[in-house]
Amino acid sequence: MSNGQDASTRMPTLFDFCDDWQKRTEGVKTFNRLIHTDAKIGQTPKQLIWTLNKARLYRYTPVVPPSERKRIPVLIVFAIMNRPQVIDLRPGHSFVEYMVNKGYDMYLLDWGVPGPEDKSMKFDDYVLEYLPRVVRKLKSVSESDEFTILGWCLGALISTMYAALRPDDGLKNLLLLTAPLDFSDKTAGGFVRWASAEEFDADKLVDALGNVPGEMIDAGAKMLKPVENYVGNYVALWDRIDNPKVVEAWHAMNTWVRDLIPMAGETYRQLVNDLFKENKLMEGTLKLRGEPVKLNHLTANVLNVIAEGDHITPPCQSLRVLDLIGSQDKELLRVRGGHIGIMAGSGAEKNTWPHIEGWLAARSD
Amino acid sequence: MSSNGEFNPFDPTGMFTDMRNASMDAWAKAMVQFVNTDEYAKASGQMLDSWLSNSAPMRKVMEATMKQTLANLSLPSRDDVSALSERLTNIEMRLDDMEALLEKYIKLNTKAQRGRQAKTPSQEK
Repeated sequence: MSNGQDASTRMPTLFDFCDDWQKRTEGVKTFNRLIHTDAKIGQTPKQLIWTLNKARLYRYTPVVPPSERKRIPVLIVFAIMNRPQVIDLRPGHSFVEYMVNKGYDMYLLDWGVPGPEDKSMKFDDYVLEYLPRVVRKLKSVSESDEFTILGWCLGALISTMYAALRPDDGLKNLLLLTAPLDFSDKTAGGFVRWASAEEFDADKLVDALGNVPGEMIDAGAKMLKPVENYVGNYVALWDRIDNPKVVEAWHAMNTWVRDLIPMAGETYRQLVNDLFKENKLMEGTLKLRGEPVKLNHLTANVLNVIAEGDHITPPCQSLRVLDLIGSQDKELLRVRGGHIGIMAGSGAEKNTWPHIEGWLAARSD
Repeated sequence: MSSNGEFNPFDPTGMFTDMRNASMDAWAKAMVQFVNTDEYAKASGQMLDSWLSNSAPMRKVMEATMKQTLANLSLPSRDDVSALSERLTNIEMRLDDMEALLEKYIKLNTKAQRGRQAKTPSQEK
């Protein structure tokens, strides 16, 4: 400082207070902007190639010459209660951009936002009406009879059901990211514990509200780690408010988190009653449109990615599936991080993405 | 500041930050443990249940009133619009199936035409 002494050990001057005051004022302005505005997310160029009701299928514009592209296209099936932009948060920090640059023909299935008219939609519809049509379009556009599905969270659950019910559709590789499949342990993870309580009546909730509001789902997810989500998240931002990189990353993530969508009522009813409470998928008693979902019919190559610190889908909910599927080529990948962090966190680019890409590269030609 | 880990008596905010950081972890762990108890699960289930039960009569009255009002104004109700939407989705699905069939036949036809064109020069010879 002006007298050559370290500012942290000498008596602060009036200038220091003014300087500090100015920094904090700027910080408040930035904080306010980040809380109330949206960052630009999902910027990787893509084309809309198919629609059905609210669902949209996009193809990311390839950047690699056709001769260098991987033969097998990749379809991303995201969860049904969040927007899929988390796979493409910011240029330079986007999983989709990374994969497109590696020569993959990438497709994204965005389920859209269910309205009151979609309250009767069930997993049966997602798995047997929408996904087969999406696959048909993908095959037609990519001119490939084989394809890869990358399912994340409930998207992984839907993808697993589809892979078990339609093993001959050409699914070569199935990537499961933080897949909630096994609910035998009712004490693992807040959602299952809360929903398994006798007092929790999903029927009453769905009958009353139709669709389950996004705000309710969001509050449930945040209450799994209340201090981190309601306090720590903002405190951590405030502490590093003068770091543009941190601010930019936080803004993009917060934009995605704030974009809440409801869940179709009947799907929620199925999720709680058939899966959370009765664990029908693992027990082999689940039926969609009358067809039994048998996991041993799933024969695609499987990479099962588990987040060690996942509080939404605890690792135990994804582990046992590998023992039940009929695939010969199956691998388990444990990654340090949380439910979203393993794919969108700062370590994802160094750990998860290269491993996924390496696994796929060996199975995409 | 106390960011370097040393105590600085001239920086009360820094001292507060240190105290906050020390207590935040403990607070977070305690809350995670709390929300993962059966008691919390029961209590939140009961709260939701009582909210749904208490608001049900009001909701029913509102729905009935709205339905009647819309009917009096010769306007469709939410149920009517939902039913229409389901029919539209059904039509969309049929159109999608037809489009896929059409695409398939166009591709087959193009393939057959190319095959014929490839054969023609050799036949001429």
